[in-house]
Amino acid sequence: MSQSLHPVTFEVLKNAFITAVDQMGEQVLRTCYSFVIYNRDFSSALHDASGDSIAQGNHDIAVHVGTLHLTCKDAIRVFNGEMREGDVYLVNDPYAGGTHFPDVRVIRPIFVDGEVIAFAQSNGHWSDVGGSVPGSFDVGAKDMFKEGLRITPVRIYDGGRFCHDVANMIAANTRDPASIIGDMMSQSEATRVAERELLRLVGKYGKATVVQGFAEVQDYVERATRQRIAALPDGTWETVDHIDRDPAGAEGLIPIRIKLSIKGDEVVYDFTGSHPCIGTLYNSAFGTTFSAVVAGMKTFFPDLPLNSGFYRPIKVIAPDDSVVSARWPVAVTGFLMPFEKIMNSIYEIWSKIMPERAMSCAFNLEYLLTGGRDRRADAASIFMFYDWLPGGWGARNGKDGANVTTACFGTGLMAQPVEGQERTSPILCNEMEILTDSPGPGRWRGGAGVRKTSTLGEADQAVISYICDRERAIVWGTNGGLPAMPHGLKLVRRASGKEEWLGTIFSDVPIEKGDVFSRPTSGGGGFGDPLLRDPALVVEDVADDYVSIERAAKDYGVVIEVVDRDLAEFKVDEAATKLLRAEIRAARASWLEADPETIAERYRAGELDALDLVRRYGVIVDWGTGELMPNSTSEFRRMMQLRSAAHW
Amino acid sequence: MDQASLRVAVDIGGTFTDICVLDETTRELRVFKTPSTPDPIEGVMKGLHEGGIDLSRVVLFSHGTTVATNALITRRLPKAAMVCTAGFRDVIEIRRANKEDLWDAYKDVAPPYIRRRDRLTVPERVDAAGNVVWALDEEAARDVARILKARQVTAVAVCFVNAFVNPVNELRMRAILEATLPGVAISTSSEVLPEIFEHERFSTTVVNAILRPVAGDYIGRLSQRLREGGLKSELLLLHSGGGVMTANTAQDFAGRLAGSGIAAGAIASRHIAMLCGYQNSIGVDMGGTSADVSLVFEGQSRVTKDWHIQFGYPIRFPSIEVLTIGAGGGSLAWIDDAGALHNGPQSAGANPGPACYGNGNEVATNTDANLALGRLGEGLAGGEIRLDRELALRAVERTVAGPLGLEQGEAAKAILSVANANMADAVRLISISRGYDPRDFALVAFGGAGALHGAALAKELAVPVVIVPPAPGVTSALGCLLVDIRHDLAESCLVPAADAATADIEARFAALEGQARERLAADGVPPEGMTLSRSIDMMYQGQWRSLSVPVPAPLTSIVEAVASFHDLHEREYNFRRDTAPVGLYRLNLVAVGTTPKAELAERLPGVMPEPKSRRLVDFDETATPVDTPVYWREDLPAGVSFSGPAIVDQLDSTTVIPPGVQAGVDRWQNLILKIAEV
Repeated sequence: MSQSLHPVTFEVLKNAFITAVDQMGEQVLRTCYSFVIYNRDFSSALHDASGDSIAQGNHDIAVHVGTLHLTCKDAIRVFNGEMREGDVYLVNDPYAGGTHFPDVRVIRPIFVDGEVIAFAQSNGHWSDVGGSVPGSFDVGAKDMFKEGLRITPVRIYDGGRFCHDVANMIAANTRDPASIIGDMMSQSEATRVAERELLRLVGKYGKATVVQGFAEVQDYVERATRQRIAALPDGTWETVDHIDRDPAGAEGLIPIRIKLSIKGDEVVYDFTGSHPCIGTLYNSAFGTTFSAVVAGMKTFFPDLPLNSGFYRPIKVIAPDDSVVSARWPVAVTGFLMPFEKIMNSIYEIWSKIMPERAMSCAFNLEYLLTGGRDRRADAASIFMFYDWLPGGWGARNGKDGANVTTACFGTGLMAQPVEGQERTSPILCNEMEILTDSPGPGRWRGGAGVRKTSTLGEADQAVISYICDRERAIVWGTNGGLPAMPHGLKLVRRASGKEEWLGTIFSDVPIEKGDVFSRPTSGGGGFGDPLLRDPALVVEDVADDYVSIERAAKDYGVVIEVVDRDLAEFKVDEAATKLLRAEIRAARASWLEADPETIAERYRAGELDALDLVRRYGVIVDWGTGELMPNSTSEFRRMMQLRSAAHW
Repeated sequence: MDQASLRVAVDIGGTFTDICVLDETTRELRVFKTPSTPDPIEGVMKGLHEGGIDLSRVVLFSHGTTVATNALITRRLPKAAMVCTAGFRDVIEIRRANKEDLWDAYKDVAPPYIRRRDRLTVPERVDAAGNVVWALDEEAARDVARILKARQVTAVAVCFVNAFVNPVNELRMRAILEATLPGVAISTSSEVLPEIFEHERFSTTVVNAILRPVAGDYIGRLSQRLREGGLKSELLLLHSGGGVMTANTAQDFAGRLAGSGIAAGAIASRHIAMLCGYQNSIGVDMGGTSADVSLVFEGQSRVTKDWHIQFGYPIRFPSIEVLTIGAGGGSLAWIDDAGALHNGPQSAGANPGPACYGNGNEVATNTDANLALGRLGEGLAGGEIRLDRELALRAVERTVAGPLGLEQGEAAKAILSVANANMADAVRLISISRGYDPRDFALVAFGGAGALHGAALAKELAVPVVIVPPAPGVTSALGCLLVDIRHDLAESCLVPAADAATADIEARFAALEGQARERLAADGVPPEGMTLSRSIDMMYQGQWRSLSVPVPAPLTSIVEAVASFHDLHEREYNFRRDTAPVGLYRLNLVAVGTTPKAELAERLPGVMPEPKSRRLVDFDETATPVDTPVYWREDLPAGVSFSGPAIVDQLDSTTVIPPGVQAGVDRWQNLILKIAEV
């Protein structure tokens, strides 16, 4: 490399690259068809000629970070030597660094003087890419063949000519062909916006300077990242988080182990000891595991810009064929389940390294897919109702967790409006409210989750599928804070009036008119001993119904009296609180050692509820039948001892 | 013309209250500033008094205010409550659940304007088609009214799901509340914003509800004081949509006052550019801490419905799109650990201010860089404030030149180049569409610091013309003076274009026009002063964002409107899908009540004066400082032209005219810079 750029040229180019990428994002938002993209599940990037990332968008979804350069490199591998100006490529291959099949990436080579100097990439979550289930999430899938269409790099524009044959073949394999073509065009045009901007810069500064800028912005971010890491003490930290189960295996939590080592200005994340691939779609390929590492770590360095320079000081070791490094053709569409475990583990480890930014576990992403025939009109068209809910984030050091926030895999993702959903689907929402007592108790409590309850209306052939987790590996507290609550969906059949616990992972369950389904999201885990929470804060929480009077006593040992319910006025009974706190303090260690079968029995008898079990006894049962899950319980208790009890 | 003929505009900012007076007889414009006061009304009255304004001569009094915006930000809000559909108490707290800062887990979205405990619910439900699933539970409704009475609330927002399709339950709830809570301001979501999507509608309704007592109190007191002072005409208030509304309207649609302060600059900028013959313009209002960027295309300000005062709480009233970035005179230059030079968004503010103020700040700001280069003189406000060039040079040395190993002059230029590039990026972001060619635009540079940067910014953007208005520092107040009464009406209309009957759509527009005429008539606008314009928001079916397509009245055909949509989509986004089905989304009606305009005085041409002084100025275009004439703005008559290098100083601003740039003064005393090389 010749002499470095003038500081002004450097800064102007650095910002211009990001602006170009943000302009792509803005164009996609305004022209997309997929409602998932519209709700901000998309990302954009500029790459250099080798495919490394120069810049990513300011509003990109976290989960795509750290994967875009991999798919760009895959397109380069395929089309090397045959690229033409006006080409546009499409790829969605998770085995080549993609996330999952619905995330489809559109890549355009940018030419100057007959030479490719850069690539623009627009990645967005399409509403459907085929497979056996609407929305392309089949929890019954063990391999990719049921999941959807795998698109290894193909041309959709060849030298400026739209390849309608290829495009139509792809669209024809989905449930919404017209929108798929629309999204292809929307994303292709977005990459053209970046091309236009880049050519403007080349016109102004010259090709050599701009290309040098590509390298310098990456070096700059690398330098900044290495400086931050070098300023931290060397050392090794370890933790483990869990997926609930292997549906194809025995009862017991599925461990994801992480050992983080800082040495000098580099960080190594070692997943050795993580569980082998499991018999469902909750596996992560290496690309997304890398992305989870990047996204988790970036949370602790929010001000650092993102490009390939950020990745250079990071090394990831993940054993092949483990749940964090699955290979073709293992099903990976539910990769977000391991992904969020990795992110939360990384939060936990970095919380120890940087206690001033500490945070407990966040709620688990959940994704509901319902489809069938809409009988409100004579035509009985197909409806697809995909929904995701926000929940509570982990409590922080000196601060409660954030209430009702989108899942940690992408904090820009928006919740959907009920009024939009009710127009397009025959489903009536009965309730979409903050769930009282969902926050994990602590000196700082977790953020609150929500509950959404819906009734199926005039529809037939309707089925429901659910992708979620942490029904057993409950959202945990740290530093003495308590776990929050189990995830899982409950169905009440109109015909029988019977309540069925369907839990967090099921596929294609038929439902009928009048059936009611209800899903909570967990609050975040607590931080610090709940018996040390200021009773005045508990009273405020009770006045706002974030916490009930009953659980204020059970979880916080705070006894609250109603002064005037109409005026939302409550007060603390100081003396009773003192007594109750002493009582809990004396007894709580023994609760965690109580015979689990006895506790499960008391749950079945209705003497204890789910919150008692997870917060007091650390006991995990099948929440429908009350059957004890002995292996899950013992591992959950072991972790609760470390994260909660050890700090009391 | 008789004696009673003054037009007065008042723009209240954080530091100063600007007052702009136009004498209709002489067409003279007079502008002055007075310090803002904790109760802004005191500042206004003091300013009017100091300016010797005889209120009995005032025929039009218009006013831009930050009262509503400040109430939202500081949360000094009245005791308010919300009544929601059972099961939907938390719509405004759940929001869309997204974060503004995607990565910083310690930065939270602000809490909702109404606490959870003050959000009550009643059983009722309307479905998506407008059918009443459950009628309002009147007993529960009366109980809610009783509780709210006990809580002594002064504002209530009634927000029911799907009320935009059928408001019957909301209206019944309203009647029950009114019976129990006389004098309390009640806003229903179906009246405030009859549009789909509960969070956006509820959030707008809540903002409207809580601002009603705030605005009511403020407007009431101000009107009273003005009447006591002799004002006979009605008080007009600037709203975010770029028009004014009467005090009565403002009390019902108080939410439209949020953003009142920001719109004024954009309106003034548009007006000045149009006066100079430019239909397309970019406004850059650069002050001490930030720059507000706005865009006008074919005579229309870009309007957005996607805005907020605090992230997460949308206000879906149309608003002139203004992008604010942290680039002002006081923005700090800094170098990060990895060696990159940045500019802003942190600012030295008014206190301690730039290093050259000598108040203790030692970090270089844009003002220091401009002073170091000689672009800014050593006296501000006509010499009232002395700037210390030595301190500025030292700050530039310490902050940038030393660490980067640059000459001082080069370092100062580097600071300003980064600031200009940041502003240029902001302009690019609000004008992504291909339809905009910078060569067709003029840049209006105003605010205290705009004219220092205007020429350089225009070069960066390849814009050929810069307009510097006569009083750049108080241009916003002029914006308040030049606007018409404006109502924006809209309603959801979710039908495929293929199914839309022209007659039905025409009937819906006619109904909207009926409402609009009623509102304008209530404002005292005679029928001949009413201008109504229609547009339909449309999209390709399956898309999620719409484009607004102007349509004629009466509506000739939906097919024509669809054809216009294809063209507009191509202009904005560079592609069209002629065979793809198009859907209607919303009907919009803009109702303007034209206020009679007085024209600004035109000046007679004069001769070029001698420079009042000369100084060494370092330009981007020169390697070393060059001897440069400095003119006093008020000495420059209309019709003169001269070329750069030159500096034009005036009381509230300094204009930099680099070498190669041709400058002239037009008949309204605007300074017009023609950038040669673009």
